[in-house]
Amino acid sequence: MTTIRRFCCNDLLRFAYVNLDHLTETFNMSFYMTYLARWPDYFHVAEGPGNQIMGYIMGKVEGQGESWHGHVTAVTVAPEYRRQQLAKKLMNLLEDISDKIDKAYFVDLFVRASNAPAIKMYEKLGYVIYRRVLRYYSGEEDGLDMRKALSRDTEKSSIIPLKRPITPDELEYD
Amino acid sequence: MASKFGLAGGIPERRVRPIWDAIDSRQFKNALKHVSTLLAKHPNSPYAHALKALILERMCKLDEAFSVCLNAKELLFTNDSLLMDDLTLSTLQIVFQRLDHLDLAASCYEHACSKFPNNLELMMGLFNCYVREYSFVKQQQTAIKMYKLVGEERFLLWAVCSIQLQVFCGNGGEKLLLLAEGLLKKHVASHGLHEPDALIVYLSILEQQAKFGDALEILSGNLGSLLMIEVDKLRIQGRLLSRAGDHAAAAAIFKKILETCPDDWMSFLHYLGCLLEDDSLCCAEAVKDPVHPSKFISCKVSHLTDEEFDGQVSNALDFVQKLQADPVNNSLRGPYLAAIEVERRKHLRGKGNDDSLMDAIVQYFCRFGHLSCFTSDVEMFIEVFNPVKKIELLEKLKEYSDSLTTLPVKNLGQTFSFFKIQQLLMGDMFESSASELEVCCAQMAEIYCKSVAFSKDLDPQESMQGEELLSIICNLLVQLFWRTKNVGYLVEAVIVLEFGLAIRRHVWQYKILLLHMYSYFGALSVAYEWYKSLDVKNILMETLSHHIYPQMLVSPLWTELDSLLKDYLKFMDDYLRESADLTFHAYRHRNYSKVIEFVQFKEQLQRSSQYLVARVEAPILQLKQNSDNIEEEQGVLESLKCGIDFLELSNEIGSKSLTFLEDLQSRPWWTPTSEKNFLLEPFEGISFCPRRISTNERETSCKRMIEKRSLVPRMIYLSIQRASASVKEIVEVNGSVSPNICSELKLLLERYAQLLGFSLCEAIDMIMDFPSGERFSEVVGPNLIDWLNFTVFLNAWNLTSHELVQPDEKESTPHTWSILDSLLEKYILEKVKSMESEICSSWSDVQLLIQIVTEPLAWHGLVIQSCLRSCLPSGKKKKKSGSMDHSSYSLVHTITNSVQHLSSIIEEILRWIRERENTPEDKNVEYIISSFNNNEQDGGPGQMFRILESFFSAKDGAELGDRISQSLESWSPADVARKIMTGKHKVLMEFSKICESKLKSLRSMKQQIAQL
Ligand SMILES: CC(C)(COP(=O)(O)OP(=O)(O)OC[C@H]1O[C@@H](n2cnc3c(N)ncnc32)[C@H](O)[C@@H]1OP(=O)(O)O)[C@@H](O)C(=O)NCCC(=O)NCCS
Repeated sequence: MTTIRRFCCNDLLRFAYVNLDHLTETFNMSFYMTYLARWPDYFHVAEGPGNQIMGYIMGKVEGQGESWHGHVTAVTVAPEYRRQQLAKKLMNLLEDISDKIDKAYFVDLFVRASNAPAIKMYEKLGYVIYRRVLRYYSGEEDGLDMRKALSRDTEKSSIIPLKRPITPDELEYD
Repeated sequence: MASKFGLAGGIPERRVRPIWDAIDSRQFKNALKHVSTLLAKHPNSPYAHALKALILERMCKLDEAFSVCLNAKELLFTNDSLLMDDLTLSTLQIVFQRLDHLDLAASCYEHACSKFPNNLELMMGLFNCYVREYSFVKQQQTAIKMYKLVGEERFLLWAVCSIQLQVFCGNGGEKLLLLAEGLLKKHVASHGLHEPDALIVYLSILEQQAKFGDALEILSGNLGSLLMIEVDKLRIQGRLLSRAGDHAAAAAIFKKILETCPDDWMSFLHYLGCLLEDDSLCCAEAVKDPVHPSKFISCKVSHLTDEEFDGQVSNALDFVQKLQADPVNNSLRGPYLAAIEVERRKHLRGKGNDDSLMDAIVQYFCRFGHLSCFTSDVEMFIEVFNPVKKIELLEKLKEYSDSLTTLPVKNLGQTFSFFKIQQLLMGDMFESSASELEVCCAQMAEIYCKSVAFSKDLDPQESMQGEELLSIICNLLVQLFWRTKNVGYLVEAVIVLEFGLAIRRHVWQYKILLLHMYSYFGALSVAYEWYKSLDVKNILMETLSHHIYPQMLVSPLWTELDSLLKDYLKFMDDYLRESADLTFHAYRHRNYSKVIEFVQFKEQLQRSSQYLVARVEAPILQLKQNSDNIEEEQGVLESLKCGIDFLELSNEIGSKSLTFLEDLQSRPWWTPTSEKNFLLEPFEGISFCPRRISTNERETSCKRMIEKRSLVPRMIYLSIQRASASVKEIVEVNGSVSPNICSELKLLLERYAQLLGFSLCEAIDMIMDFPSGERFSEVVGPNLIDWLNFTVFLNAWNLTSHELVQPDEKESTPHTWSILDSLLEKYILEKVKSMESEICSSWSDVQLLIQIVTEPLAWHGLVIQSCLRSCLPSGKKKKKSGSMDHSSYSLVHTITNSVQHLSSIIEEILRWIRERENTPEDKNVEYIISSFNNNEQDGGPGQMFRILESFFSAKDGAELGDRISQSLESWSPADVARKIMTGKHKVLMEFSKICESKLKSLRSMKQQIAQL
C-alpha cells in the first residue's frame, strides 16, 4: 500500500496535507533544496494509493571521525496513516543507509521535549536520550538529542548519555 | 589562489581583514572608512573597488555600488599585469548579481578565463555564472573545456546535464541527446563511471531516446553495482523492460520487488500492468500532471485473448494470496488492496461481476475498516459502480458492521469508516432528503461524543480518530443551508466546528472549513485569524493561500492583505533568486539528476498563476492605499516606473502557459476553486456542482484577468497626466497636450474593451447609452468593477480629446463625466439600499460595494485631484486674475458638481454602516443564537449542537478527562456568535475608515475649488 521512493521537488507542492500538522515544520526553500542537492538518499517519501502522500523523512550525514553520523531532520506521517509502522519503516531506511552505505557511527535527532508521541516512538525504535538541549526550539522549548548506535560503533560509546544539559551554542552541528 | 602568500586580491591580507570583520558585523560605515584608506593605498586594485561596491550595496546605495563595480571591472580589463584571482571575481559576481547584472559578472569571468585559459577555478566560476543565467549552451561549452583539461567525470556530467537542459528546458532538439550519449559512452569505455547519479543520468539519456535495450545492458553490467539500494535498481530495470515491451521479464522483476516489499503499491500496479500487457501506467506517469496526479489508476482494457487474460489474472491472484498468507505481512494493506484491484480489472474486462468486487471491498472492510485510511484506500475502486450498486455496497457494509462484536476500539473505528464511505458512496448525499441528512448528522454527532469520551487520555498532540465526523456534519449542515436558505444551519456548522476546536485545537481541517464559513458571513478578520493559525509559510503559501487570498483581495483589511502579499512575494522572489545557486549545489555534490529537476521546478513556480496575480495585485493595493492624496499616489506610480513593467507583463501573458499549483483538495465542497462558490447560487442539486475543474478554462480566464489588471497602473498614470494636461490646455490656451499620452491611453482603452469582449466603439456606445437604456446593466454583469474602471479611464481620455462630445453640447463639459458620476451613484446606492440588514446574510454585495469605492471611485477621485491641481495657481507663475474663460469655468463647474456628488454618495455609505452598527451587540448575538436554537422538536437547525451540548454537560471531569472538561467550561455558543459579529464589525470599521478618508479628501477638494 505504500511506495517509498526518493523525495523530489514536486512533492513539495503535494505535501500540504502532511505539513498542515502542527508538529511538522515547513522550512524555507533553500533548506529543502540543499538537502535534495546534497543528501538525496536521506530524503524519502511514502506514497499511498491514489497517489496520496502519507509521510516523509528528511535527513543528512555529517561529522568528523567518530562523530560521523546520520541525522534525522524531520520525520512525519499524516494522521490518517499513523500507527501502521510507516515512521518505523522510514527511520529504518535512513538508519540502513547511514549504516551500510555511509558507514556512520550513529544516528541522532532532536525532538521537542513536549512531543510525547514522537519520543515514545523513538524509544521504541531503540533511541536513547543522549542529552537535553536547553531552549533549542525558538529559544523557548527544550529539545532532546536522541541517539542510536550503528554497527560501526561496536562499543556503543556514542550513546552514553551526558549528565548535564547543554545550550544550543554548544552544539557541534546545526 | 585567493590568499596565496597571505594576499587577498593582491593586497596583504592583514589590511583587508578589518574590512571583512566590519562587514561581517554589519558595521558598514566603519567598513567604508577602512576601504577608503585601502583605496588610497591601492587605487588601482580591482579587489579594493569590489569590496567598496559590496559595502555600498549592503548599505542599499545601489547606484553608487553599480558605478564602483563598473570601475572595478574596468580596472580588471585594462590592467594586464594584475593577477586575476577568484576572490576578486567572486566578490564582483556577488555584487553584480545583487544588482541584477548577471551578464556583467559573466563577462568578468569570461575575460579572466580568456587570459588564463587553463585555470580550472576560474572556469568553474564561469560555469557558475552561466548556471545563474540559465545559459545552457554556454554551460555545456565551459564544462566540455574543463573536461578536456582534466578529464574528470564530474565535468563530463556537467556538460551532459547542460545538454539535457537544452532539450527539456531550452530549445535544443532531441538530437543533442545523441551527442550526450556519445560523450558518455566514450568516457565509460576508457574510465568507467564512479558516481551513482552519473549512471542514473546515463540511463535517462538512453531511455529518453527509447534505447531501452542499451540501458538494460548497462544496468546489468558492472556499472549496475553503483546503485546501492537494490529496490531502486529493480524498479528501473522493471520500468525499462516494460517499456521495451518485454512484459514477462518485467513482471518477474516487479514480482521480485513485491516479494521483499509486499506493500509496494506502485510495484504491484506495474506487476499487474505487465501481466496484462497494459503499459498505460508507465505512459501515464510520464505525461500526467506531476503536481496533481490523478487519484485513479489508469489502465486500458487489455488486448489479451480471454484465455490469456484469465490465465494472467489467476497468476496474479495466486501471487497475491501467497503474499497475504505470509504471517509477517499479515497487517499490510497492500496485498489485500491488490486483491480488490485484480477484481476491478476483471470487472473492467467484463469478466467479473459487481458482487465479487463488492465482496472484495467488504473483506477489506472487515480487515482494515477500523483504520482511518480505509475510505481513501478504497475510494479509487468504487468509481466503477453505478449509483444503484453503490447503495447496494453501502447496505452490505452496513449489514456487516451491524453484525460486529469485535473490540470496542475497532468497532468505533469501523463506524467512523462507515460514515465516511457513506458520504462517498452517496455522492455527499445530495439525493437524500433534508430529514435524512439531519438523521445522519445526529447519528454522527452521537458517535463523535462517544469517541471523545473514549480518547480522553490521549495526548493533546495526537489526533483523535473520529474527528472527521464533525467535518462531515459541517459539510452536510452547509448543504442543508444551501438547500433551505435557513441560515441557522450555517451558524450551527460554525458552532459545531468551534466546539470541536475547543476540545482539540489542532484540527486543521476544521480551521479551513471555518475560515470559508466566516468569509461567507463577512467576518473576514476571524477567517484571517484562523488562516494565520494554520501557520502557512514558505512553499505552503503557494499551495494553500488560495483559501484566503481572493476574499482578502476585495476586502478593506489592507494591512493584513499587504502582509499576505509581501510575505508571499518575498518567498517567491527569494526562491527564484536563490534557485540557480541551489542548482549549482547539485552540480557540485554530483547529484546530477537533481539539476534538471531543480530547473524544471523553478520554471513551474515562475509561471504560477497565483504568483503572477500577486505581482499585479500588490501594486494595485498600494495605489488604492494612496489614492486620497495625488502627490503620494504619484510617488507610488513613479516607484512602479509609471506602470511600464506591468504593461510588459500584460503583453507577455498571452503567450505564457500558466501553472496552477494550488492544493484544491483541501477546499470545501461548496467552493472547489476560488472562482466558484455554490452558496452564492441557487441550489440545483448535485449535478450542478462538479468537483473536477478544467484547468484549461481556468487558465484562459486567469490570463485574461492578469492581462486586464496589469493595465490598470499604467491607465491610472496616464489618466492623471491626461487630466492635468487637459486643464493646462484650457488655461494656457496655446499650451501643448502631449499627443503621446492621448494616443497611448486610447490604445489601452481599446485593449481593455477588448478584454471585456467589445470593441472600443461598442464599449463607448454602451456607456453613452447608459442614461437611457438598460443595456449597460445587462452587459456588465459580473464585470461591473472592470466596466466602471473603464469608464473612469475613458472619461479621463475624453477630457480634451473631444471625440465624444455630444453635438448639442458644444465644447462644454464632457458628457462622459456626468455619466460616470451617475453610474457610480447608481451602483453604490443600489447596493446600499438593497442590502438586507440581516446579520447573517451573504457578504458578496458588501464586497462589491467596497470594490467600487476603493477602485473606480478612487481612480476617479485622482482624476479630479489632478484637474484641480492644475487649475490652482501655482506659487510661481501666477495666473492672470479674472482670466477664467468659458471652458475652464465649465470644467470647474463640473468638478464642483462631481465632488458634491461623490461626497453625498460616500456619506450615504457611512450612514448605512452606522445604521448596521447601531444595533446593540447583545441583540445581534441573541439573533444569531436564535437562528439555530429554535427548540423545535422535529427538524430544523440546532439539533447537532444540542446533542453535543447535552452530552458534554452531563459528563464531569472524571469521564472526560481534566483537559477536555476544563476547555469546555469556558466555551459558549454566545462567544462564537460574538466572534461572527466582531469579525464583521472590524471589516466594516476598516471600510468606514476608508470612506472617511475619501470624504476628507473630497472636503479638501471643495476648499481648493473655493480658492479658484
Ligand atoms: C511520530 C510519528 C512520526 C509516528 O508515525 P507512525 O507512522 O504513526 O509511527 P509507527 O507506526 O511507525 O510507530 C512505530 C512505533 O512507535 C511507537 N509509537 C508511534 N506513535 C506513538 C504514539 N502516538 N504513542 C505511543 N507510541 C507510539 C509505537 O510503539 C509504534 O509501534 P506500535 O504501533 O506497534 O505500538 C507521527 O505521529 C507524526 O508524524 N507526528 C507528527 C510529526 C512529529 O512529531 N514528528 C517528529 C518530530 S521530530
